[in-house]
Amino acid sequence: MPVPDPIREGLARGWRVSGGPHGQPPRRIACDIAIVGSGAGAGVTADILSRAGLQVLLVEEGPLRSSSDFRQLESEAYPALYQESAARKTRDKAITILQGRCVGGSTTVNWTSSFRTPPATLTHWQQHFGLAGFGNDDLAPYFEQAERRLSIGPWLAAPNENNDLLRRGAAKLGIAAAAIPRNVKGCWNLGSCGMGCPTNAKQSMLVTTIPAALDRGASLLVETRAERFEFANGRVRALLCRGTGPDGAEIRIEARHYVLAGGAINSPALLLRSQAPDPHGRLGRRTFLHPVVISASVMPQQVEGWKGAPQSIYSDHFLETQPVDGPIGYKLEAPPLHPLIFASTTTGMGQQQAQALRDFPFTHALLALLRDGFHPQSEGGTVHLRSDGSPELDYPLNDFVLDGCRRALLSMAELQFAAGARHVLPVHELAQPYTSWAAARQALHAMPMQPLLTKVVSAHVMGGCGLGGTASLGVTRPDGIHWQVDNLSVHDGSLFPTSIGANPQLSVYGIVNRLAQGLAKSLSGRDISLA
Amino acid sequence: MRRRSWLKLGLGAAVVLAVGGGAAALVTPGLRDGKLAAESKPMMAAIGAAILDGVLPQAPAERATALSGLLARTDAVIATLPPHAQAELSQLLALLGTAAGRRALVGLDAPWPDAAVQDVQAALQDMRVSSLLLRRQAYQGLHDLVGGAYFSDAGTWQVLGYPGPVAV
Repeated sequence: MPVPDPIREGLARGWRVSGGPHGQPPRRIACDIAIVGSGAGAGVTADILSRAGLQVLLVEEGPLRSSSDFRQLESEAYPALYQESAARKTRDKAITILQGRCVGGSTTVNWTSSFRTPPATLTHWQQHFGLAGFGNDDLAPYFEQAERRLSIGPWLAAPNENNDLLRRGAAKLGIAAAAIPRNVKGCWNLGSCGMGCPTNAKQSMLVTTIPAALDRGASLLVETRAERFEFANGRVRALLCRGTGPDGAEIRIEARHYVLAGGAINSPALLLRSQAPDPHGRLGRRTFLHPVVISASVMPQQVEGWKGAPQSIYSDHFLETQPVDGPIGYKLEAPPLHPLIFASTTTGMGQQQAQALRDFPFTHALLALLRDGFHPQSEGGTVHLRSDGSPELDYPLNDFVLDGCRRALLSMAELQFAAGARHVLPVHELAQPYTSWAAARQALHAMPMQPLLTKVVSAHVMGGCGLGGTASLGVTRPDGIHWQVDNLSVHDGSLFPTSIGANPQLSVYGIVNRLAQGLAKSLSGRDISLA
Repeated sequence: MRRRSWLKLGLGAAVVLAVGGGAAALVTPGLRDGKLAAESKPMMAAIGAAILDGVLPQAPAERATALSGLLARTDAVIATLPPHAQAELSQLLALLGTAAGRRALVGLDAPWPDAAVQDVQAALQDMRVSSLLLRRQAYQGLHDLVGGAYFSDAGTWQVLGYPGPVAV
């Protein structure tokens, strides 16, 4: 019984999809709403605005791939579905960034962790960014709708061993750990979420909001890059795009309203290429990453970290036990382990690396997501343009962040020994496998924390078009509309004035749900709910 | 223009001066048509043999086959990189392909095809922990390229004990 493919079925029903293998789009297009991107923010926006009876067009740089294409192979998934083949890097190459670039955006390839925006984060925004209406109670109904729409709820299956080791180690140390809600329906527990869900269980934008919008007559341009906005008299007059293929022709899109949802890094870059107004120097600044450090350990028993739901247990102990604006705190989670990402992340070479690679089935990995953006010494990074117009994030790993890296590596090593590790290998170029907590602790206290010695990765890009209660505090107003351009909204993770402090997909769904409902009301006069 | 993009690689003036062959490197790119140039292949094979020592098969014939597979898959990976990353990689390989660049950036005296595995490993280890950011960047770029390319073929997964994906 083959798995149905809702995308191929929709195409057969006559969805309006063009670009790449789906045929040349017209050179000029007029619509009510032009949306750049097709990820979390774009999907929710397209669903709500199409439901309001508006003619919606989505422009996606990446390809339209679906369950029939998702063969659970990294060598196919990374080039097809990720920005820069899953090797996007910050300017000094010290941080590798995983970000989606396909229909569905990062929601197609994320690991399904679904957290509401933490109250401490919202309180900080209210206090420091003039976002009075962003209280926990204000947003709760919008989160609740997103949870219903995307089947977000407790994951009732047992965690895989990689996650259960986090649970057991935390319990040994007396640290709180809990289960992660997931956006899945009928999940097969394959563990291949990062390569696209082959069974359509993950309730990504690819199988939920975007099909809904397409069924209502929305149009989708794929393999089409949004190059720049054309401004006239302080408004966007057109969006200029180009096919990504060798003979990509320019496409001119004229809309009543434009929604930028290309993801942090790409959204600010599009505004930079368009020379959008930026009177307060906020554009592309305060871009956050949740910098991630990793600790590998080898257990006596098989872990097989490639099997089962990739993320099902977390600990917020190192976030909740200290002030949000103190030394940088971190969230502990476990990552899925697959050959390519494991081989390129495992440090060193020769016999020592070979042994670490042979230990793959016994390897338990933890990661710590550092909560950046809440302290004066954590200003994040800045998006710049290269000479070819492509974006590059300059994110300096300063002493404030690196201090958090050291503390996080220490916490993870201690937890892994508590969970029964034979040895622990902090992912750092100067680290060795340590066979005791005492040895690991001593080594980590002495180890220099520096860019390109401490291995840092990121899967969460946030900020760069931050919300602000006044024009001097942000790029976008509390309703998501650009402070200087009133027919342009930003609806993606670039809105966040700080990092979230949790995997951000549900923060994008919930907050954009509210912004898109406001936009639907002002453009169509209609009250629309996501669920 | 070429010169400016060259400097964007992060090359300090001292390194450019130390590498008298800089100008020569500019006319011998490390990549041609988005693939490893003929001149880059022995170098990538030597780097691959050093990084994957202990993973590659021991028997000479099988080892040679594994390394040629690595080079083919390296080309496949390079083809998926965006233009700016290809350009940087091309410059890096061009630089490492010159004797002056090999000595200055890698610290390796012997030409790539003649260098012993342990000499290449020692040179890479120096790059890995160098105080010069550029050398660390180059090491990590090479390390990740080799690991990612080699294990992109299911035939290599046995060493990892990875059974491959569950059939759907």
